[in-house]
Amino acid sequence: MTAPSAGTVEMTIRFPYKRSLGPVIGAFMTGLAGQQILGIRNGSEVMCPPLEWDPKTGKELDHGALVEVGPAGTVVSWTWVPKPSAQHPLDKPFALALIRLDGADTALTHAVDAGSIDAMSTGMRVAPRWKAERQGHITDIEAFVPGEDPQGLDDSRPEEPVTMMPYNAEIPYTLPIAVNTARNAVALKEKRLIGLRCPVCSRTYAGERGFCPIDTTALTAEHEVQLPQTGTLTNYTIITPVQYPGQTETEPFARCMILVDDSDLVIGYQPVIDLPVEQVRVGVRVKLVWGDGDIEGWQPTGEPDVDDPDLVNRIY
Amino acid sequence: MSHQPCAVVGVGQTHHKTRRWDVSLGGLVREAATRALEDAQMDWSDIDAVVLGKAPDLFEGVMKPELYLTDALGAHGKPMFRVHTAGSVGATTGIVAAHHVETGRHKRVLAVAYQKQSEGNAQFALGSGRGGSLGAGGAFAPYMRSYIARSGSPLDIGPMVAVKDRLNALKNPYAHLKLTDISLEKVKESPMMWEPVRYLESCPSSDGACAVVLTDEEGGKAAAAAGRAPAWILGTAVRSEPSTFPGRDPVTPQGAFDCADDLYRQAGITNPREQLDCAELYVPFSWYEPMWLEAHRIAEKGRGWKMVESGETALDGDFPVNMSGGVLSSNPIGASGLLRLAEAALQVRGMAGEHQVDGAKVALGQAYGAAAQYFSMWVVASSLDPFGR
Amino acid sequence: MASDDIAIIGWAVSPMERRTAKSEQQMLFEVVTDAVDHAGITRADVDFTVAGSCDYVAGQAFSFVQNIDAVGAWPPKRDSHVEMDGAWALYETWVRLLSGDIDIALATGSGRSSTADPALIYPMEMDPFYLAPLGADAMSFSALQARALLDAGKVTERQMAEIALRSRASATSNPHAQVSGAFDVDAALQTDYVRAPLRKHDLPPITDGAACVVIARADKAREICENPVWIKGFAHYSELHNPGMRDLLTSPSTTLAAKAAGIEEAPVDFAEVQAAFSHEEVILREALGLGQDTPVNRSGGPLAANPVMATGLVRIAETARQIREGQGRRGVAHSTSGPCLQQNLVCVLEGDAR
Ligand SMILES: [Zn+2]
Repeated sequence: MTAPSAGTVEMTIRFPYKRSLGPVIGAFMTGLAGQQILGIRNGSEVMCPPLEWDPKTGKELDHGALVEVGPAGTVVSWTWVPKPSAQHPLDKPFALALIRLDGADTALTHAVDAGSIDAMSTGMRVAPRWKAERQGHITDIEAFVPGEDPQGLDDSRPEEPVTMMPYNAEIPYTLPIAVNTARNAVALKEKRLIGLRCPVCSRTYAGERGFCPIDTTALTAEHEVQLPQTGTLTNYTIITPVQYPGQTETEPFARCMILVDDSDLVIGYQPVIDLPVEQVRVGVRVKLVWGDGDIEGWQPTGEPDVDDPDLVNRIY
Repeated sequence: MSHQPCAVVGVGQTHHKTRRWDVSLGGLVREAATRALEDAQMDWSDIDAVVLGKAPDLFEGVMKPELYLTDALGAHGKPMFRVHTAGSVGATTGIVAAHHVETGRHKRVLAVAYQKQSEGNAQFALGSGRGGSLGAGGAFAPYMRSYIARSGSPLDIGPMVAVKDRLNALKNPYAHLKLTDISLEKVKESPMMWEPVRYLESCPSSDGACAVVLTDEEGGKAAAAAGRAPAWILGTAVRSEPSTFPGRDPVTPQGAFDCADDLYRQAGITNPREQLDCAELYVPFSWYEPMWLEAHRIAEKGRGWKMVESGETALDGDFPVNMSGGVLSSNPIGASGLLRLAEAALQVRGMAGEHQVDGAKVALGQAYGAAAQYFSMWVVASSLDPFGR
Repeated sequence: MASDDIAIIGWAVSPMERRTAKSEQQMLFEVVTDAVDHAGITRADVDFTVAGSCDYVAGQAFSFVQNIDAVGAWPPKRDSHVEMDGAWALYETWVRLLSGDIDIALATGSGRSSTADPALIYPMEMDPFYLAPLGADAMSFSALQARALLDAGKVTERQMAEIALRSRASATSNPHAQVSGAFDVDAALQTDYVRAPLRKHDLPPITDGAACVVIARADKAREICENPVWIKGFAHYSELHNPGMRDLLTSPSTTLAAKAAGIEEAPVDFAEVQAAFSHEEVILREALGLGQDTPVNRSGGPLAANPVMATGLVRIAETARQIREGQGRRGVAHSTSGPCLQQNLVCVLEGDAR
């Protein structure tokens, strides 16, 4: 059984992160910026990449017990990536490999730029190819290459210890549009305000709602009701915008709860139009103003305010 | 029935700050966990299982971080469990951990909760990257307006809570905000962010972690015998309800009452105001203190603000609330719930230092999440039978 | 049965699709409705619900919050959520029922893997300093583990293909399979690698789906169910994260979980394991101590349908189904999470003696 398709919507989660590295990862990244690969002593072993703790016991390691390893090492296992993703370090086919660097007892994961899958084998020797511009990041090693000799060696050393790391994750999603959402969007385009009336408890929900949560009843087209495009402002907040990536507001703005006439539906956090923030109040009679295919906001009708002390409690 | 006593024998937390850029993600959770283990006089190897809680993975950009943090928390070769119930998650983490002990699954469980908000941008994440984000304050502001209207509370009550919690935070070495010059005037002069909520009536955004070591009856008694007071868990409860439906009252959510009622029944509490000595409640915005006092039956309907006004909820009052400084002073979201449970435990163990309530024997720890729809609570006591049942 | 025993009394598995048009809410509504119906109860009889889902799979923070509308949380319900496979959600319900004060609980697992490229999502669950910035995803790590097995002589590429063939052939009779049917192994071995040494047949499909399992304490289970499937043991263990620091030839945490779940107490008739990549079955068979004659993944397993966040719970539901349908009396279900089988869960189920 396949549900009727209402199309899809594209959306990208794109977050700029910045990570603090702490003492050990920070030392490792600082090392990379200076073309040095560090491991950490863990008992009789050396771990690379280094951790602050013994991963088998959780015990804190001596953060000063860093030792240089490599730069060459041995491939312990490998796979071939024929079509790199946007997140991969190379934009041509490459091997992702577990590499045990000389002097280390654990394996570092990194790319091997071998040119061809035929050049890859377990046990092969590889050495780092350094980037010219290094920032203290795992990709300061552009990739490992077959052989014993590191490539791209220079005299550049970091002036300051590396303590932070940027991380930019970007994932494009294709999300199916729920049937009710699609039907509601059509109604909004036609400047109709629709609701969905639960056949069990008779509560009215916004047009895109999927279920009445009171009796876990699916809401479908047959429960659709046309709602008046007038209502009463029951509650509100005035928001002073804070700045963050993507913020579009600069002046204080209101978000209001609107009890739609002839129903028990409250539409939450709505913008208001032609109602200055200092005049926003409980009880204002409002009518819907249409934007381009959506509700632009609610505008005072000029009718007298509704005087009902319980109105402010109609948040939902 | 296989419900056995469970005790808190270790509590640890980080110093909470806007940016803990001195530590890595692993270092942050270990700072809290190590303190909890030291408090419990245990080593990583003494722990049988770890329960990890935090709010959305998108905040730090690490998906299912229980995987990466397994070895950071000494859980190699052990069960590692991850909880996420929105803002209540820290408290749910403690409760899930307690169930593992109460049912005899494990003897010693480490519960850890954290958020490293500085790695991302919570406001941005909550708004899914769009402009005009309400923020949590904007979402909750209408609830508070409704409370003020229905209770007839004077408008000073919110600012009074804000001052009280910040004064308490000055006594808590781990608290994020240290507003030494806090005053009613300062709060009232601070910018109105989400009317009726002012800047100084809102929680900060923090990096931080909290950890708790739970053990069985034998472990609790051994700690007591060694002179390290345990906090005995008298009851735990969780409830969830839908975000919205016509007629839902988020000021007095049914889930809040049901959760408290379930909890008090387990703990043998019939008069919470009298039988509880203090409470650590999830109050991210000032007005939530009187609101939760009412919605958890500590104050009668419409009288929560009077407990604030009379000074009853101050540290030296008759029913201290948020002795640690609360969420208003430190808010590493995912950890905030566990910090509430941990503070309740510290109080009945007599280990709360400068913010200790004299003679506290029974304490409530509570958290809520999402649209005031997830509730998690526990009651802890200095003995298994504080009411002589 | 002892009063502390807990049984599975009902379950439901959604259709498994490459790309569903349904919301996660709709998928959950249907599996919860079907599972409580299967158990012969209503939502009102359920004392505790736990959901397993993942924001990064859903593409939205707090994605689970709206799902409670469809699971049912009015009047307010004891409820929890794990950012883990539904198998762990079921573990939480099981632990909670052991307390003895409530009788019936349900767990869900749900995910729409089709929403984004797994190669972009799954690096997000790796070490954020050393692995995620390399775009190292779950499939690449699986390939590294497969290579280690090949190099150690523990499997051949042909054996891997034969595992995939057997799984998809037996999936033909599974209405919940997304990919099924026999294929020619020789021809398959001539195809290009997707991630060497893994070829397309070694990989799970991308699947949207959900599952729900209802459990009850013994007295209640007997009262409402003719043939409960008893949870004889339930445990999960984890291992250190970075695959470069582990022995990739074995799965010690699976063995720990299996022992803790009492797998050795009696012979196991069959198993359903979350081997999303063909070679993982070899590791898991050994870690669980299953002989070559023990049937594994008669449902087709994750190679036939892999609804991320529900795949493990589906294994438990499948195991219960096969016991109830008389295909064995004692079965073991397995779930996993993380790169190279980092974290593993084992649930041992038994039907009543016949
Ligand atoms: Zn209804």
